[in-house]
Amino acid sequence: MVDVTRTGTGVVASGVRRTFGPVEAVRGIDLTARPGEVTALVGPNGAGKTTLLLVLATLLVPDAGQVRVAGWDPVTEPDEVRARMGWSPDVFGLYDNLTAREYLELFGEAYRLGRVRSRARAAELLEQTRLVEHADRPVHTMSRGQKQRLGMARALVHEPEVLLLDEPASGLDPRSRVELRELLREQARLGAAVVVSSHLLGDLEQVADRVVFVDGGATVGEHRIDELPAGTQLRPWRIRALDTDLLLGSLERHAYDVDGVTPAGVDVRLANDEAAAALLTGLVHDGVPVVSMQPVGGALEAAYLQLTEEDR
Amino acid sequence: MTAAGIATVARQEFRLRIRAGRWKGLLAVFFAVLLGFTVLLRGSLANVTDDDLPFTGTVLYGGLMLFVLGLALLVVPALAAQSVNGDRERGTLATLQVTRLSAAEITLGKFVAAWGTALVFLALTSPLVAYAMTQDGVPLGRVVVVTLVLALLLGTVCAVSLWLSSVLTRTTTSGVLAYLSVFAMTVGTLIVFGLVTAVTSETVDQTFRNDCSQAPPGSSCEEVVTFATTRARTDRTWWLLAPNPFVVLADAAPQLPQEEPARDGTEPGVRARDLDPLGQIGRLVRDLRVPPIEADDGGAVPGFEVEGAGQDDGAPVWPTGLAVNVALAAGALVLTARRLRTPTRQLPRGQRVA
Repeated sequence: MVDVTRTGTGVVASGVRRTFGPVEAVRGIDLTARPGEVTALVGPNGAGKTTLLLVLATLLVPDAGQVRVAGWDPVTEPDEVRARMGWSPDVFGLYDNLTAREYLELFGEAYRLGRVRSRARAAELLEQTRLVEHADRPVHTMSRGQKQRLGMARALVHEPEVLLLDEPASGLDPRSRVELRELLREQARLGAAVVVSSHLLGDLEQVADRVVFVDGGATVGEHRIDELPAGTQLRPWRIRALDTDLLLGSLERHAYDVDGVTPAGVDVRLANDEAAAALLTGLVHDGVPVVSMQPVGGALEAAYLQLTEEDR
Repeated sequence: MTAAGIATVARQEFRLRIRAGRWKGLLAVFFAVLLGFTVLLRGSLANVTDDDLPFTGTVLYGGLMLFVLGLALLVVPALAAQSVNGDRERGTLATLQVTRLSAAEITLGKFVAAWGTALVFLALTSPLVAYAMTQDGVPLGRVVVVTLVLALLLGTVCAVSLWLSSVLTRTTTSGVLAYLSVFAMTVGTLIVFGLVTAVTSETVDQTFRNDCSQAPPGSSCEEVVTFATTRARTDRTWWLLAPNPFVVLADAAPQLPQEEPARDGTEPGVRARDLDPLGQIGRLVRDLRVPPIEADDGGAVPGFEVEGAGQDDGAPVWPTGLAVNVALAAGALVLTARRLRTPTRQLPRGQRVA
């Protein structure tokens, strides 16, 4: 159990439970998100990620468990939490008839920034989320990615020290995803505790400092991203060579099982990094013109697959 | 709770309403209907009565206000009946709830916006009211009181509709129920009053005294005849009718004076008071409060007692009715704010948080 004391910073949740009628959506999630770090919340659909975020965002009372957001209790001190926390839900609506600027100014005032400060923040955020040219157009003319960015800007309007983002990258084009990653890193650099749930594991691996795996409503693992547990499973690697036949011949000679041959390369399953290094040495020794050799799906994906595999 | 917070929400709601666009047409239709009504009523008065007759203003104003109330009751429920659940459906409620705006600020902001819009409809009647005032028999005090009461009554409709939108998940359901609640207040109170009065009417012995001195000798003449009869006790059931918006409005309008100062060209006996539609309804419901005259056992009056006849008007009904309406509005707003409070412990069936 995590020690839940008023740290004044970050997110600490322990033993959170919440049922909806007969459905036990969350049955024991622990999560720590430190200031200055991006914490990824990863798990299959229905694992309880959104419910947990709703509890953290002062919208739901948990049945059990202790929660502190920015050092305050979201159940008994919601206003304190709201002043310091920004939240962007997975699905949200915008006021169609407002312009992006009006929308952000509205939320500035709703966060009690005052009119002058709200106006300034709106201008800053429009710049930051590349929405300046759409600033004075009605929201309903914006693309999905632009709307998503506007939602992100709304969550940032009062410069929160805790940022809770539920699937912020869904529906974003590749460029917007890169920008989202930069924005999250920037928030962490400024000292915010960022919690982000997503299924885009490749993106998360590049942006997150830590990862919390949830499955079936409970935390099943909490790791630093650079210390992900080495899988006990075989992991797929993809090898590309100038001469595919030569590559396949060499693999056969060394008795490796070939998973598949695609234009992108030849896939084999390897136990760990040592096995990969040994294979590469062997291939080079055989004179195979290897162009590239890399794991398929990153460490986070491997760890995720393993965790959900065990659950099955 | 702060005024600035309420204003933030109200401004936003107004802005959305104005930009939604339909309101211009609605206002135009509303005014056109009122104008048509006024022209027809004025025309009919010119035909029925001698055109020299004063007090056309009294009839015109009274009729117009009752009509405005009826028409507004058809429009106003729609102003708030989808306010909360509509936002929930569009996914814009939760993002507002996690701001520092309190549930009370969101509730009152939405209420102010809906009520303010209702008052815009009311303001449309001002040119027609001004016209009625140029005719005889519309004291300014009466206009002030009637306008205030109308505003309060429309506020009640807004508050109740808003509450329905916070309780019910589907916008269509809350819309239908908002209109049903208006129906209950107008027609429903009338039906309940009628039925309850009928059920609670009591049987009493009535005495009738014959004058046997004139009877031919030998004929059977009883001095005192007693028989059972039923009588309605509206003095016990009048309050069922009191919350009716039309009753409140009509009764709250200050009664015109009993005696008109003598005027040239006025037929004797014709007073604005007798022609006033508001005053007539007011006197009707005040009479309901007067208990029947109990027959004096010692010396029963000859003939039947007529309930309330020859008596002064009963006490005003509108304070009770207006109090019920204001209490309903306040209760609705408190319950709405409670619904909007987060974090929530219980979620209604089929309702998402965000």
